[in-house]
Amino acid sequence: MSWKIVDSGNAKIERRDEPWCTEAMKARWTAEIIPRYETRHGALMPILHEVQHEYRHVPYQAMIELATFLQIPPAEVLDTVSFYEEYTVEPVGKCVIGICQSIACEVCGHQALLDHVRDELGIDPHETTEDGLFSLLAMECLGSCDTAPVALFNETLHENLDIPTIDRLIAEARQVGDGGSEH
Amino acid sequence: MPMNEPVLTKRIPTHPWGDPKDRRTVGLEEFVRTGGYANLEKALDRKPEEIVEEVKGAVLRGRGGAGFPAGLKWSFLPEADGGRRYLAVNCDEAEPGTFKDRLLCDFDPHLVLEGIAIACYACRLDTAYFFIRGEYHHQAKVMQRAIEEAYEHGVFGKQGLLKGKTDFAVDCHLHRGAGAYICGEETGLLEAVEGKRGWPRIKPPFPAVKGLFGRPTIVNNVETLAAVVPIIEHGVEWWKGHGCESATGGPPSYGTKLMGVSGHVERPGVYECDLGIPLRELVEKHCQGMRNGKRFKGAIAGGVSMGVLGPDQFDAPMDFDIGRFDVLGLGTACPTVFDEDTDMVAVARNIARFFKNESCGQCTPCREGSGWILKLLTRIERGAGTTKDLDLLLEVAGSMGLTPGTTICGLADGNNWAVRTIVNKYRGEFEARVKPQFIPVTVTAGA
Repeated sequence: MSWKIVDSGNAKIERRDEPWCTEAMKARWTAEIIPRYETRHGALMPILHEVQHEYRHVPYQAMIELATFLQIPPAEVLDTVSFYEEYTVEPVGKCVIGICQSIACEVCGHQALLDHVRDELGIDPHETTEDGLFSLLAMECLGSCDTAPVALFNETLHENLDIPTIDRLIAEARQVGDGGSEH
Repeated sequence: MPMNEPVLTKRIPTHPWGDPKDRRTVGLEEFVRTGGYANLEKALDRKPEEIVEEVKGAVLRGRGGAGFPAGLKWSFLPEADGGRRYLAVNCDEAEPGTFKDRLLCDFDPHLVLEGIAIACYACRLDTAYFFIRGEYHHQAKVMQRAIEEAYEHGVFGKQGLLKGKTDFAVDCHLHRGAGAYICGEETGLLEAVEGKRGWPRIKPPFPAVKGLFGRPTIVNNVETLAAVVPIIEHGVEWWKGHGCESATGGPPSYGTKLMGVSGHVERPGVYECDLGIPLRELVEKHCQGMRNGKRFKGAIAGGVSMGVLGPDQFDAPMDFDIGRFDVLGLGTACPTVFDEDTDMVAVARNIARFFKNESCGQCTPCREGSGWILKLLTRIERGAGTTKDLDLLLEVAGSMGLTPGTTICGLADGNNWAVRTIVNKYRGEFEARVKPQFIPVTVTAGA
């Protein structure tokens, strides 16, 4: 959530003819998500989760499509996307490795893991490898302090980690090409 | 009355009553077989107001960190006017060191749902949003499945509250967060459910009057709602037999509490204890002592925002009056314990980085102050700081204010309190890292 300055006044949005939010997706959202909330705006976060999950990012064009769909200003969609860490405007890797860096993990040795993964993948935290396979994140508390140090590989939490285990997980992810974890 | 059987962890094997290796998610069938949803039925036989009075009488203090009595919060709701009223369940357990609600979601989701249903019935709330943090992927799946099972079982939905036993219906939806600590603040959480960025709102109006979508809303922690179930089951007097009275003449700390211990202990994990158990007993009895027999150096009281207990405060009782040991409060009662080898300057820097990353940026003192605190602590940790930096650090921390202070929510206070208690209690360590700064003074002799 750290603050980044973006020259949005001169930004050009990449567009493609095919919409990111398909009719099938919209039909399902209308049936399943919108009725859960008092306002259409309320449905934004669960819908963004689906878009992020589907495309591994939320493209600007998709934000405009969502704004039209939810009848809210596009700026409101951008506001929400840019605030939450799970939504990204640039594509993330197929396997997102999120290493917890909060207090319990730090006192139980997360730094060695982070340094190792950084060397292994050749990227710094919050970067993606050129082949688009891995993204590395240094995350704040993952809520599993009793089994520190921990890391998320996509949606799967791995506990009591050490370097051999993390090496094995990375090797598995390389082999299957998507993290080997449920997406 | 000593705690002789598990309460919230009745179905979750936990030391000393069970082995965590045997833990597995309790499904609907097993939950009902072991007395589940019987307390909801019991509650439905009574008037809603009676249940609010009972929870009020039990002085069930909020388990999410602030310790505000849940029954009192419920009684702030205005009279029902036919419009919608909401329950927002706070499962945005994002504060470092805190991991107790995860246990309930992972292994006994229906206990939480039973508490939700009772609270909705008692307060006449027709829609519940279960707000779960984005990082809890597995727990979100477990809860979603449990909610679907509860719909089928006649707890929620049109034919709900146990198959139309009353003319009242409750809906329950899961709402996933997306990685923002600030959404654990009750009004930030409401903004997130409305689809907006999680900027906390100025209070008043309080959520009980004007919350979600402008309607009356109750925000409760997962464990608080789960604790409503045993209160209905065993009654107020039984509940008051657990926990302790206040040592300072304030409100009491009744009941049992999930305490998640992490850090340098032999057997970290979540334990259920009576409130008021000394930290030493929690560590030595339940966690089998300090890791590798090292000495205790300090502990975070319950989530990093609550400040640090010093080396001479190992015997501090874990109750809501823990504030008398110069920490902000009990928080979530999830201590992170440090042994003698821990570098407290690094601990302070880690905590400062957390708050800097998670400051939502709405209020200037917090947004700017948290960045400066991190810069100063990083400099001191590197050995490049001077004594002046240490003074400036305390000044910046102090000027971020204590509620009611300079910011809308309590994040800045947590940051301030954590940094100040660490520096004050381990001042020697900080002073050893900074270079003395000499200020040249010109004195004219004989003047």
